[in-house]
Amino acid sequence: MTRTSVRSVLLFAATVVLLLAAAFTLTRTRLEAQQRGKAVYDKHCAECHGRSGKGDGAAAAYVAPHPRDFSTGRYKIRSTETGSVPTDEDLMRSVRQGLYGTAMPAWDRILSDTDIQEVVAYIKSLSPQFATPPKVVDPGEGTPSSPESITRGQQVYEKLQCGKCHGTDGRGTGAVTTEFQDDWKQPLPAADLTQPWSFRGGATSRDIYLRFRTGMAGTPMPSFAEAASDKEMWDLANYVVSLGRKPVWSMTAQEVADLYARQDAEAKANPIKRGEYLVNSLACVLCHSPVDDQRRMLPGMRLAGGVLFRIEPYGDFVTGNLTSDKETGLGNWTDDQIKTVITKGTLRDGTRLLPFPMDWGSFATMQPSDIDAIVKYLRTVPPVSNRVPAPRFKFFPSYMWGKFKLLILGGDPPIAIFTGNAGSAGGQR
Amino acid sequence: MKKFLKWTLLVVLVLAVCALGAFLYFIPPFFSVAPEDFTKEAEKSAPSVASIADPAERAIAERGRYLVVSAGCIGCHAAAGPQGPDLSKYLAGGAIKSQTHEATYVSRNLTPDKETGLGRRTDDEVKRVLRSGVFPDGHIVPTTTMPWGAFANWTEEDRHAVVVYLRHIPAFRHQTPEPVPGNGVTIPGAFDEEHAWKNYGTGDPTPVK
Repeated sequence: MTRTSVRSVLLFAATVVLLLAAAFTLTRTRLEAQQRGKAVYDKHCAECHGRSGKGDGAAAAYVAPHPRDFSTGRYKIRSTETGSVPTDEDLMRSVRQGLYGTAMPAWDRILSDTDIQEVVAYIKSLSPQFATPPKVVDPGEGTPSSPESITRGQQVYEKLQCGKCHGTDGRGTGAVTTEFQDDWKQPLPAADLTQPWSFRGGATSRDIYLRFRTGMAGTPMPSFAEAASDKEMWDLANYVVSLGRKPVWSMTAQEVADLYARQDAEAKANPIKRGEYLVNSLACVLCHSPVDDQRRMLPGMRLAGGVLFRIEPYGDFVTGNLTSDKETGLGNWTDDQIKTVITKGTLRDGTRLLPFPMDWGSFATMQPSDIDAIVKYLRTVPPVSNRVPAPRFKFFPSYMWGKFKLLILGGDPPIAIFTGNAGSAGGQR
Repeated sequence: MKKFLKWTLLVVLVLAVCALGAFLYFIPPFFSVAPEDFTKEAEKSAPSVASIADPAERAIAERGRYLVVSAGCIGCHAAAGPQGPDLSKYLAGGAIKSQTHEATYVSRNLTPDKETGLGRRTDDEVKRVLRSGVFPDGHIVPTTTMPWGAFANWTEEDRHAVVVYLRHIPAFRHQTPEPVPGNGVTIPGAFDEEHAWKNYGTGDPTPVK
């Protein structure tokens, strides 16, 4: 063997070792990043998206839209072709600035850029779809907004029949239907195009163009890449931007008064929708739906009651079944009987409730039209059979002893809220 | 004479026992107060917005007041007085302690005080708690403790109205403790224990000029 060939063999071996080491380090770095990403995820994301990333965290069932299920690789906000996964930059942007109009907050003030990169690496590891690289869309130069472009965009709006879901005015007027379901069977209203601050992925014409171009995976909003040309979609984006109205925080007194008058009129015209809004935002769902040991709502038990509150020294109170079930829910209650509970804390058999945790004293401050709306909405909640036990007041001597401890010994007895369903359905549904 | 004294003493004793029994039985007088009185109290304890000069802001704050009162924020964010919640120190916090599997939380001071209340927070920070339960230090309060999962369903404009109203209520200085991590639940099977009746904050709320 010559000296040169020995040298080249050595050189080759050294290169192989170095390359292997580099590959090993790279993999390890990536795995370590994923590990650190998981730590960030568990701390900041799991409450909504769930420990396993299936969008089933403790808070998931209460917020609309529901948190993303990361195991499917389907994302609404992308800059990539239909059916493709989003880019890292797409995901990081959603984490950084949040998704407007949803419970997903902007994390850029709280998490560092490294944290966000690592959590994105972790989220990608939850879905096999990310093995295929994303196919990025080229939005091109775009068309700057102008009165001509907006007029052309309006014609595209009509041609593509956007009004069937979004209405002729962008806010549902004249629409065939504005209520849909997403791929996870969750209710999903068509976007109100006059409220750009609630556009999930942003409200610039480029953001809006991308939604047309890529579609919103998991929702009925399709891609228009085949139905319209790039130029048409840019014109349409400019038109949608032009539909945006002023938000209340930039309005004059007259405009605020007009907005509120319009909202009140709409609430009266559509009491069921108003009632749904009130029931969801007044925390009715939180106490009237039983949860498991991870505080997740038991499936199919929304508003079916059965949460046990042990209130010392008074007794055991189980939240009522608010569904329209005739046997065990509100199906056989009259409107007035329901209103008496909401506003006076008195059940139809005359039993008076404590002023907490059911906050009827506060609910009664609502306008009568709002209380009507709540009752009308509760009538539409699908029936769930769950017989809930009547309030059980404590045995007199233990009540007096409890009161003695509270008032004389200065204790602070707890209200304990229990896991599981105390009603007849047993949480099996 | 002796017999008379004995009888008087006995009557006084019986009366005292009855009084104690009645005190224990009826206080706090939840069931002997008319339901309407609870509602009147909830309605009138919320500070009025009449003094806001800007008419647009006043209209928005009025909407915010409606939401704050009907959602019952005061149910947890009250200040504890010697006889139950002191509603005159509106939303000064401290009256409720919530022990969960994650941590122990005390209801916070929502008045605009710059050191202990929401005066420390930007509008965006307050809205982020109402929308996502996320505090500036990144921790998330369980929605079963602070029902942000419900308030997340408010429209952004209604949430804004709530924040505008909270900016205009009188400020009280009242330090409430930060959450203490760890399992605070002592009752088996419970996921949350709520304690009331006491002030869990530091000192009494004092008005701030």
